[in-house]
Amino acid sequence: MRQKVQYLYIEVKKMIGMFPRMLLQAIMLMVLIGTIAFCGAMSMEKDPLAIQVKIGVVVQEDNVMTQMALKYVENLESASQVCHFVQMSQEEGIHLLENGEIAALIVLPEQLVEGIMNGTNPSVQVCFPQNAGLEAMLLRELTESGAGLLRVAQAQIYGAYDTAVTYGMTDRLSVMQGEIDSYNLAFALDRLAVYEEETVSATGRMNMIQFYGASAAILFLLLTGMAVYPVMQREPQAFRKQLIRQGTGEMWQCFCKWLCGFFCMGLLGGAVWITLKVAGVFLPESAGMVIAALTKGRGGSHMAAQAGEVILIVITVATLVYFIYSLSDGRTGAVLLIFLISVTMLYLSGGLVPSIFLPELVQAIGERLPTAYLIRAAGSILTGYHADTFRQCTVGMCCYTVVFGMAAYLFRRRD
Amino acid sequence: MTDITSSYGRKKILKGVSFTALRGECIAIVGANGCGKSTLLSVLAGTLKPKSGEVLYYGKKAWISSGGRMHGNMETIRGMTGYVPQENPLIPELTVYDNLRLWYPDKKKLQQELSHGFLNLLGVHEFSGRQVSKLSGGMKKRVSIGIAMAGMPPVLLLDEPSAALDLVCKEDIRKYLQVYLERKGTVVITTHEESELEMCSKVYVMKDGRLVQVDRGLRGEELVRCF
Repeated sequence: MRQKVQYLYIEVKKMIGMFPRMLLQAIMLMVLIGTIAFCGAMSMEKDPLAIQVKIGVVVQEDNVMTQMALKYVENLESASQVCHFVQMSQEEGIHLLENGEIAALIVLPEQLVEGIMNGTNPSVQVCFPQNAGLEAMLLRELTESGAGLLRVAQAQIYGAYDTAVTYGMTDRLSVMQGEIDSYNLAFALDRLAVYEEETVSATGRMNMIQFYGASAAILFLLLTGMAVYPVMQREPQAFRKQLIRQGTGEMWQCFCKWLCGFFCMGLLGGAVWITLKVAGVFLPESAGMVIAALTKGRGGSHMAAQAGEVILIVITVATLVYFIYSLSDGRTGAVLLIFLISVTMLYLSGGLVPSIFLPELVQAIGERLPTAYLIRAAGSILTGYHADTFRQCTVGMCCYTVVFGMAAYLFRRRD
Repeated sequence: MTDITSSYGRKKILKGVSFTALRGECIAIVGANGCGKSTLLSVLAGTLKPKSGEVLYYGKKAWISSGGRMHGNMETIRGMTGYVPQENPLIPELTVYDNLRLWYPDKKKLQQELSHGFLNLLGVHEFSGRQVSKLSGGMKKRVSIGIAMAGMPPVLLLDEPSAALDLVCKEDIRKYLQVYLERKGTVVITTHEESELEMCSKVYVMKDGRLVQVDRGLRGEELVRCF
């Protein structure tokens, strides 16, 4: 027993001695991963309205009223954010439409405004390309919706007129038309009332910053496996055999190395987290989000559950890394293997690009990988305690820890 | 050691090896590369289980066959033998002193050994504060011998201790082994070095998985012809 304790003491001493170097490597790694995660989050957070759709407008006469109406539509906030109207001739417009350079072509007839005012209502022609892109499809939908609204309003006006004439109430017509106008204007101005609101997110409960934060944290932990090489590496066979001769079995050797690796990763993760907090690297809003997420689950068993989840994440990652070290002989092989396995698994699990954007087969494989459970667990720490996620992740991580631990032991023993 | 057999998979390495070493005797085992010298030493050191046969140290059973299965008494093997493998059993990131602490759990005993014991004789005290990764091959080998001597075992097993060492180191190790033999220790050494054969009382050639004792005065081509 004394020999076993002595071995553990030596391993811990080695870990402490190598820690500053490992910490430096971990900080460099964090800067790299942080930059990638930040860029990823920023690119995904980009406002989709920044994309402008180019629309061609053909005005068939030089009519002041039509030009004014066009200017009015162009300068509407909702239209100007999405659409860029360009006046052109009909031939030019058709040519551009065929080349896919404009998403739609609107042909305004002669006497458009006057027609609206006198009730003749000349129709506006809207042309879309045959192989419509996403923008054109969206515009078509919006145009059809707008036309539908106009049809309803027109039917209301004519219906009110016929009713008033039938019942001899033409003196009340102006009141009725006023009611119809106010109803339709209110309806049109508050267009959100038309839609049912449903939030769809590729990242589940997490927002983009939380999603990339969770992924970056897991990637960082996995890649610290490269920094903890001195602690988790396979010792020379002669050394291991000598230890076995002296009564320190392979199982105890594995446990000591894994334990030191686990502490190292936990300490490195903690140290880098504190460094980041102190340095104020987080943007104020995301820092606020993290604090809010932490305080959300604070108190009682939730705080304990979240702390337990953090420990379980580090245990799972440490076991996975230890298993990879058991597979490879040299440092270069182990480091390369850790990098490749980590990045590949993270990608398949939707840690780099949300899994919803990946092929179905990849999604099916990815959601069973250990990284999927790790990301979900890290995410649930940021978004607050959710019993179902917590249960799933705990079971998944425990299973993988046992499997990797046993596999690592068997590999080392076979060697 | 009586009628020891050992194999890796289907390949038989040792086919009934037997020899006896007396107290204060040095036994040399020579032979071509891959003939089974290291396997034999691994069996003696308890790191490899033989298929059959018997190994006794001073009458105490180390490996015995019982009911068709081999049983090793690791306590006996551990207490009776010190083993110096070809590869040095050291942690490169630690100092020599820290490495020694693993094998000398008693701090006082280690200090004594460094100041006037075997470790001092080996010259380990001169570089005990240095990191192992910065040591020369000869220094590492001396530390390895020091580790093997941790329990002051009566039998020392050395697997090609002089391989890839310079002449000065070889001579230092030879001198140390002479002292050990004078103190009635038993040495079993596998070697390719003729200079090491001079201190041996018996020389065995390992051939086709068996040991053949040869005239200890044989050298050069005469000895090689026996392989």
